[in-house]
Amino acid sequence: MSVEYQGLAVRASKGDVEAFRRLVQDHSALVYRVALRILGIEDAQDASQEVWVRVWRNIGRFRGESAFTTWLYRITVNTCLSAQRKRSRRDERERGEEMPYLPEPSGGDADPEAAALSAERRAEIEAALLHVRPDHRAALVLRHMEGLSYSEIAEVLEVPDGTAKGWVSRGRAAMLVAMSNGAAPSLDRNLEESGG
Amino acid sequence: MSVLMEEERWEVLEKIGAYAAGELEGEEAREAEQLIFERPDYRRLAESYARMLVMLTTLGNEPVEAPEVVVNYAVRRAYVSAFARNAEVFLGSLGRTYLDALVYYFGLRPRSYGGGI
Repeated sequence: MSVEYQGLAVRASKGDVEAFRRLVQDHSALVYRVALRILGIEDAQDASQEVWVRVWRNIGRFRGESAFTTWLYRITVNTCLSAQRKRSRRDERERGEEMPYLPEPSGGDADPEAAALSAERRAEIEAALLHVRPDHRAALVLRHMEGLSYSEIAEVLEVPDGTAKGWVSRGRAAMLVAMSNGAAPSLDRNLEESGG
Repeated sequence: MSVLMEEERWEVLEKIGAYAAGELEGEEAREAEQLIFERPDYRRLAESYARMLVMLTTLGNEPVEAPEVVVNYAVRRAYVSAFARNAEVFLGSLGRTYLDALVYYFGLRPRSYGGGI
């Protein structure tokens, strides 16, 4: 499959719009999903469109040294981080003396996977993600939502492996802090109920 | 809270997070286990991390479709751009042809000397 996409990318770089259309159709979900996780729903669509404009403009520079998806992830993350820079920055390190906790699942909510699928949980995660510093958020999304290895993350973000690992680690901690501090109103309510 | 305490707190946060994600091995893993074993608050922290990571993975596995407008916009832009590129090449070559014709018509082409072809 990867070889097929390399071939399509080569054809697209020569101006073949049909080849480009195939690339867009097969990867639009990937681009939109990452943009959604990094930027939230408000900006995901604009960012996705910008990604594809950049892909078309720069596809001649795709050398095929890495997989097409790695190159696409890089453009997507860079585009999202550029969009994010236009927004105000937030401090990811919330200060406090106690360790952050998530409230225990209530009632018969014993299966965390089922809990994660509820609309409320989804909103909590998405809201908390937006409280994490953008580059750490990108690393966190690539690791725990896209399932990339640290070496792949390092390649996408163009940083050393150790930096990628550090960003994921800090992003993970910041995310937990944001969730326990009630990044979303519903989580606030849960914390109050559990006396947190 | 002092800066040092804050740094230490953050260090523990990250260490237990890495443990919960299954990324620690050997001595580092044992250290994290020791922390979790000794302190109930760290145990709760590890459990919270585990829950959060399951939620992240589950959300990450949910299928997401890009809005159709994104695909349409990208392809439309590419067509327009490709057309403009081709038009530029065509007009460029047309212009050069006209220029060559004018040069020929007014006899502006420099003559070659020395028996050259």
